[in-house]
Amino acid sequence: MPEAGGPRETRLAQRLPLPVLMLLAWLVPGLGHLLLGRRLRAAVFCVVILVGFVVGLVLDGELMLPHAGDPLSYLAAIANIGNGVLFFVARHFDLGQGAVTAPGYEFGNTFLLTAGMMNLLLVLDTHDIAVGKKDW
Amino acid sequence: MTLDHLTLMGLDALLIAVFFSFLWKRDRRERWHHFWKVFAALLVGAVALGWLMYPFPRG
Repeated sequence: MPEAGGPRETRLAQRLPLPVLMLLAWLVPGLGHLLLGRRLRAAVFCVVILVGFVVGLVLDGELMLPHAGDPLSYLAAIANIGNGVLFFVARHFDLGQGAVTAPGYEFGNTFLLTAGMMNLLLVLDTHDIAVGKKDW
Repeated sequence: MTLDHLTLMGLDALLIAVFFSFLWKRDRRERWHHFWKVFAALLVGAVALGWLMYPFPRG
């Protein structure tokens, strides 16, 4: 089993408890990898998720919240909240209200959901690197 | 933003392919190979699925 985190892990990451590291990885796309010393991947992931999120908003996608009686909205909300701090900032500025009549609405949703789910995968990847399941 | 469906689908496929090639593959060559595989699969798969659904009525 390889050493957890590996030699590139930053001092801060060594001090942080795993749940806090995962929380940071969720809040800011790429931050988990950055703290673990995976700079290139951190930058790539950050850019990919940021671009997906911004394109989703520009296309009038909706940052969905759970609606009573609509089970699928719960899944959509989880995926959207997966965007971390981007989700909360956008909601704060009333972005991502979603215009159902806009031509890009469905595409916008797809971009927002994709970005959120990719960020959730990054949280799991951060966990795997931190505990030594993934040594690169 | 007014982009056609194919361009938007291509952009989404591009982001996903880049993401998974960096998530799953370690070295540069493997990443390129994986990137093109995922990118092509998403694009060709979507067009093929569209054609397969063409005979079915809407609604």
